[in-house]
Amino acid sequence: MTFARASLYAFVVLAVVSWGYILLATDSGASDVVSVKTWSNAGNFVRQLSGVDSPARPAYLEADRWLATGRLALNTLAMSVLAIVLTGLAVLPTFLPGARNISNGALGGAPSRSGAFLYHAVRLAFTLTRAVPELVWAMVIIFFLSPGILPGAVALAVHNYGVVGRLSAEVVENLEPGPARALRAAGASNLQMLLYSMFPQALPHFLTYLLYRWEVIIRTTVVVGFVSAGGLGREFRLSLSFFHYTDLALLIMWYLILVVAVDLLSAWLRRVVTRGR
Amino acid sequence: MNFASLNGSHLIAADSISKSYGRVQALAPLSITIGQGERVALAGPSGSGKTTLLYLLAGVIQPDSGDLLLGGQDLTRQKPGKEKAGMVGLIHQQYDLVPHLSVLHNVLAGRLGQWSLFRSLISLVWPQDRHVAEAALAQMGIADKIHERTSHLSGGEQQRVAMARLMLQGSRVILADEPVSSLDPARAEDLLEILTALAGDSGKTLIASIHAPHLMRKHFSRVIGLREGRIEFDIPSEEVTDQVLEKLYNLDQSEPFVWGGGN
Amino acid sequence: MGRRELRLLESRRLLTLLLAGVFLWSLSSVDWKGPLIHTGGVGAFWNFLSSLFPPDLSPGFLRLALTASWQTLAYAVAGITLAVLIGFPLGVVASGSVPGSPRTGLGLAVAVRFILAAMRSIHELVWAVLFVAAFGLSSLTVILALALPYAGILGRIYSELFSQVPEEPLRSLRASGASPLRVLLYGRLPMALPDLLGYTFYRLECAIRSAAIMSFVGIRGLGFEIQLSLNDLLFGQVWTLLLFMVGMVVVVDLWSTRVRRSLVS
Repeated sequence: MTFARASLYAFVVLAVVSWGYILLATDSGASDVVSVKTWSNAGNFVRQLSGVDSPARPAYLEADRWLATGRLALNTLAMSVLAIVLTGLAVLPTFLPGARNISNGALGGAPSRSGAFLYHAVRLAFTLTRAVPELVWAMVIIFFLSPGILPGAVALAVHNYGVVGRLSAEVVENLEPGPARALRAAGASNLQMLLYSMFPQALPHFLTYLLYRWEVIIRTTVVVGFVSAGGLGREFRLSLSFFHYTDLALLIMWYLILVVAVDLLSAWLRRVVTRGR
Repeated sequence: MNFASLNGSHLIAADSISKSYGRVQALAPLSITIGQGERVALAGPSGSGKTTLLYLLAGVIQPDSGDLLLGGQDLTRQKPGKEKAGMVGLIHQQYDLVPHLSVLHNVLAGRLGQWSLFRSLISLVWPQDRHVAEAALAQMGIADKIHERTSHLSGGEQQRVAMARLMLQGSRVILADEPVSSLDPARAEDLLEILTALAGDSGKTLIASIHAPHLMRKHFSRVIGLREGRIEFDIPSEEVTDQVLEKLYNLDQSEPFVWGGGN
Repeated sequence: MGRRELRLLESRRLLTLLLAGVFLWSLSSVDWKGPLIHTGGVGAFWNFLSSLFPPDLSPGFLRLALTASWQTLAYAVAGITLAVLIGFPLGVVASGSVPGSPRTGLGLAVAVRFILAAMRSIHELVWAVLFVAAFGLSSLTVILALALPYAGILGRIYSELFSQVPEEPLRSLRASGASPLRVLLYGRLPMALPDLLGYTFYRLECAIRSAAIMSFVGIRGLGFEIQLSLNDLLFGQVWTLLLFMVGMVVVVDLWSTRVRRSLVS
């Protein structure tokens, strides 16, 4: 019995127990799935989104509404850009010590106490920050920073620091030791060796991960905005509370535009990074 | 042989150095001395210990026993660093250049031992000592590739980049592991011309593993034949005949043998 | 320096400058005029940090944290299983292996890819907010909201993994006249299985985080308790809950790594 197979069985048990708990111990609304009322409610919701029943013109057909929410969309975009830049700035100086082959001196430097300490400290930071979802970080940060796009960007950056940091450190761990050793033989100090061989080799991967995360971040920015009161997120919440459903439809349209735009930009930039460098 | 009997003119002095990998003895205890400015060729079949000897002399690996002095310093005790780099430079078959860097930066990396950290950092944006790198690359015949990404170059071109880097490193001893084994005769000739000119111009010592007898005779003054980790002969290159080499490679007359055809 | 090199250098420098400009623009979007830090924000920050040593370890609260962790885990597992149920068949179609003529296979694949992309363009919490507004709050609604984007991601990755399988072993299957679907089920699937399982386990780890934040729409779990403790400014409790969250994630991460290793060997 391999570990994988045992894990599969264990997972099946876990799944059964989970579903059992959901269906029996929580308000699952399972009976509602078949009730007509639920589906008519849902249909009603869609009609409200499209605004066919209301006398007023739906918000998504009003040019000035588009402009007003467009500004918010731009803020959301700015928040996402700020978030990845902050992530990048935080990861760049700290990911190298998080690679085992650098800290334990496998590349020619002597294994040192401080190297091991740094390694564990950096890895701990990565684990802590990436295990907590961005929204939770935002809920905490809003206690220190005033509402706006900054706390949202910081919350996103804190979580993604762990994600990108760990991935980048792993890239370094998988690098060929040859070039680094050759530099040492040519007389380079540890730091010079890092600068001339590890960094250039890890940089394209680091940038690619960062750009991939941008795609995730733009989707999460609205969610974080619920709490940090920045960009589209705040309007989303307000529109829901006031039942302005056509406004909600308009916001969702902007959301989708942002998502598609960032996906395309990220793909293009990733091509540039892997081509030119 | 003990060190007391050596005088200061010997740059490299090895006394009974040996090396084994597990149960395989790559190098039986052997002793040699090599002087400043000598051009030595190492000959022998694959597995004879040429590469091991070169790596020991480069200080990349440590001998299991024996003493190794370089310029009077005990090499076994020296860690890689500026001093050692100033003494020995090694080119081997995997050129070990940084693939993502441009040729210019890979060549300038030879200067890292002499540059401060700050200068190394600056150089990545504003290349320092650029003219030296350009001159070195011109001598190697690949000056036009200076801004290319190193991984885009062919194997032979990358080898020249590695040599240019060695030039900037400015070590007293140049060690080359099979530098021409994968090259056709014309290019092999070319490369050795450059390599020996490199060494000769500045009185550097050159030690390289070579197979072809005519290349040994033409470019080197001394040939050391190795077989199964032992020195079979250590003679001036003029005395190296085809028979001597055939005996070393253990072939009789009837078997075909291709010189320079790889390891 | 050749002209080609010149252009490449210029474009790289230009691009860097452009990106720097974009970064500065994003900075300018922050409202710097107002106070950045709350009044009392600095104090709250140190208060928060110091509450980690020690966090709330009272047995009553630990029991609460454990219950909340289980709730979150149950939602995550339920969500992931539903996501696999939806995503797997979609992934099969998206890889073009549907029975029928090759043209319908390709057409369907394109359509399904589009659907998968649409599913994963919306964050699970946004789906949740919409579904709750449409269907009302219940655990199934929330689980569906979680499963949809995950199915989108899983479906896409599954179809990619199917197509990355080496072609050689499949030739004999195809030569024996098997339909594309059979080729997939009997040929591609067994070969891709380690990667499929490995990736799904990784997504389980993400699902735990997603399940936790579903508290925003009213579901119980770690997110819910964190919200409560934050509102009461009981930072020690917040840290305990965060540590439980980290613990769960680490355990699942280690488990998934070991599973992947066991599959490779």
